[in-house]
Amino acid sequence: MLTETAPAASHTAAAAPMLKVRGLEAWYGESHVLHGIDFDVAQGEVVTLLGRNGAGKTTTLKSIMGVIGKRKGSVVLEGAETIGLPSRAIARLGIGYVPEERGIYASLSVEENLMLPPRVRPGGLSLDEIFTLFPNIKERLKSQGTKLSGGEQQMLAIGRILRTGAHFLLLDEPTEGLAPVIIDQIGATIRKLKQQGYTIILVEQNFRFAATVADRHYVVEQGKVIDMIENDQLDANIDKLHGYLGV
Amino acid sequence: MFELLGVPPQALFGQVLLGLINGSFYAILSLGLAVIFGLLNIINFTHGAQYMMGAFVAWMCLTYLGINYWAALLLAPLIVGATGVAIERLLLKRIAHVDHLYGLLLTFGLALIIQGLFRNAYGSSGLPYQIPAELRGGVNLGFMFLPWYRGWVVVASLIVCLATWFLIEKTKLGAYLRAATENPTLTQAFGINVPLMVTLTYGFGVALAGFAGVLAAPIYSVNPNMGADLIIVVFAVVVIGGMGSILGAIVTGFSLGLVEGLTKVFYPEASATVIFIIMVLVLLVRPAGLFGRAA
Amino acid sequence: MKLKTFLTTTAFAALMAAPALAQQISIKAGVLNDRSGLYADLSGEGSVIAARMAVEDFKAAEKGIKVEIVSADHQNKPDVGSTIARTWYDQDGVDLILDVPTSSVALAVNQITREKNKIHINSGAASSDLSGKACSPNTVHWTYDTYALAQGTGGAMVKAGGDSWFFMTADYAFGHALERDTAAIVTKNGGKVVGAVRTPFPGTDFSSFLLQAQASKAKVIGLANAGGDTINSIKQAGEFGIVAGGQKLAGLLVFLTDVHSLGLATAQGLVLTESFYWDTNDGTRTWSDRFAKANGGKKPTMVQAGVYSGMLHYLKAVEAAKSKDSAAVMAKMKEMPTDDPLFGKGSVRADGRKMHDMYLFEVKKPGESKGPWDYYKQVSVLPAEQAFRPLAESECPLVKK
Repeated sequence: MLTETAPAASHTAAAAPMLKVRGLEAWYGESHVLHGIDFDVAQGEVVTLLGRNGAGKTTTLKSIMGVIGKRKGSVVLEGAETIGLPSRAIARLGIGYVPEERGIYASLSVEENLMLPPRVRPGGLSLDEIFTLFPNIKERLKSQGTKLSGGEQQMLAIGRILRTGAHFLLLDEPTEGLAPVIIDQIGATIRKLKQQGYTIILVEQNFRFAATVADRHYVVEQGKVIDMIENDQLDANIDKLHGYLGV
Repeated sequence: MFELLGVPPQALFGQVLLGLINGSFYAILSLGLAVIFGLLNIINFTHGAQYMMGAFVAWMCLTYLGINYWAALLLAPLIVGATGVAIERLLLKRIAHVDHLYGLLLTFGLALIIQGLFRNAYGSSGLPYQIPAELRGGVNLGFMFLPWYRGWVVVASLIVCLATWFLIEKTKLGAYLRAATENPTLTQAFGINVPLMVTLTYGFGVALAGFAGVLAAPIYSVNPNMGADLIIVVFAVVVIGGMGSILGAIVTGFSLGLVEGLTKVFYPEASATVIFIIMVLVLLVRPAGLFGRAA
Repeated sequence: MKLKTFLTTTAFAALMAAPALAQQISIKAGVLNDRSGLYADLSGEGSVIAARMAVEDFKAAEKGIKVEIVSADHQNKPDVGSTIARTWYDQDGVDLILDVPTSSVALAVNQITREKNKIHINSGAASSDLSGKACSPNTVHWTYDTYALAQGTGGAMVKAGGDSWFFMTADYAFGHALERDTAAIVTKNGGKVVGAVRTPFPGTDFSSFLLQAQASKAKVIGLANAGGDTINSIKQAGEFGIVAGGQKLAGLLVFLTDVHSLGLATAQGLVLTESFYWDTNDGTRTWSDRFAKANGGKKPTMVQAGVYSGMLHYLKAVEAAKSKDSAAVMAKMKEMPTDDPLFGKGSVRADGRKMHDMYLFEVKKPGESKGPWDYYKQVSVLPAEQAFRPLAESECPLVKK
């Protein structure tokens, strides 16, 4: 189950990254939030964005997804520039997005929530595979989406994008506010997805959780990427990291 | 034979039925408004003019092209809906990001322009449109004479309302619509073309108004102001039912028709105001409307 | 050569103009009516056309009278109408206001005209109060009124055996006045009123009230309403089989444009009272053809015909008085008999009531109609003295001893 045998190739893949972000800037209305983000993600890699509250991690995900008011710079996915595309076109390139608030629709049943995102690529998980991954969901299909517990909602939010065939996932704080046993289950899921070849960007406050799933960590501060730490170097850099995160 | 406040029970049944018939128009019109408000967040003041256009298109179909009522029932909503699509694409889209007040003003202005154009072309006293031959006459129910056409209005509007409800609440397309209504940004981020849905939804809501217009043509005067008089009441219905609530719009439409019908028997002078009195009471007790979710 | 021609022409023109200039009178007439609402078709631009035709036919320019016609939309609102009337009189130099349908607006303009000592020739409004309680030395009520409508339609229906009545009354001043006047006629002729219902104005659905009227078993259902209310009630009465069930509808105020809107299939058999119908004689036909050419093919209503007739008589009075002084012109208008191809010979009474015959019409069956606008057949003529309220019964202070 554990996949400590992450492909070594991912480190060197930086030469031809799957996602290349350069000089990414973004605004909420008048307020300038990102000031030039640069980072790469290689195929099959799990990368986290770490940083304090308000550093710009969530905004970075939103900017990649195109769901922010105004952005500029360059976001290249598999060779294609996406900065000028609407978010629906970006989704069609094979990106699956799990927003911070999980984005479960109150006006849709669990089943409708699960079936909502259209297929964007072949090779998505079947419903049975999703139910194997998250058995709780199967029993609650007819409930209203927001009647699920926080953990179930998180599983639903991840499950529904696995159905679509997206192979590049953006997960925004999937462990926030959840019980330790659920966090473990989500951690296991992420490792399993990585094993199956998914590429993942994970926004996390909790770097101890991040350390159990990620290959590399980018540290974001005041709208810029200020450092990158390989997961196997984490212990050596723990003091520096504490400094960054103000723990 | 007992009488209720001086009204014999037979007369009462008749009035209840008539109330339902008028409620049919309220239901279709407020349904269209609710669908549009839900997704576009626009209070569509053009709705009355679009209802009027439905009746006029039916008249034009018959007068210029010889197209009968039944075909017009299908064709007129499509044509009116298409003008709605054009209005959304050319105008409403441009103000989607600013305060709702602008949408209200724009649609209100459009309504005045459309009514003015029709008045210029066809005058203000109205045009004749006969009840289709198949539905002339009626049946004596014992307590009242029910014209076939009125019966048809109730059946047709019930079918349209239930079909709309089913479409929105029970189908995949409806799930897209509800998702886009609740969280358009995220829905778009799943790869769903929300702007297209907005356009089509507006077109659909407007087509419902056009459909009501065709239904109304044989029984009400087809004139440029026919919608302006009705739309204020329909807005009250929507407010009572709760903005954006589909089922609320349908149920409230029919039941307020009923209440209005009964008022016409017991105190006719108040029948034009009773809906507004109810609106005030509902707003005092449940500001989000009877079926609305508090924001 | 050219210069010479020019000079000659100028000199000639100056010579011609000289006598005219000496007694030139400039008149500004304002046509104030509904140009956008439910009475726009029966008054509206058509009334402006009619006023212009009167100026043309009078050959005003040749007689040294210069006439300018302005128009405005009072939207059937007394406050809007009052504001326009005041602006016209105070700032724009308007001498007389014509038409003014909608009784509430007409009563307001009547009052302002009296204050400003100008002239109001009303054609469009119905309330008989304009020559009754509210009569004014500055107002002439030209075309029709609620009393005449009640006499015509009400009287005729009772005589034809319709001796029990149920009223559907538009719930405002005009409807109440029409119901009051008609009920009086019905009772006077030996009929009785079995019930009445006040319908909110403007209304769309009258089926509920029609059902109440049906249940009353009255022989006649009197529609004390106008415009869209009348059209909708007649349309829906047909639908609910009211007429087929043996009850008769009395449209107490129905205009030609209403019948046009209803279509003959729905309106056939309806009995109504008007003071003018385009297809009455050669005079009305010739004039109406000219009018229709200018009005997009639509034939004139009695209101539009009344504007023509009133304007023509006013101009004659100005010519006779050699002045546009309100008192002098009013005196001449009341002194001179009226005569025109549309209403024939008549007079203006001391209370401001224009006297002419009224006609009772029945709407033709679709088979009887030879084409568009061929809608009425004449049932009877009501001589002016019978149609309008006798001076002896008048509440007008101007005629009280």
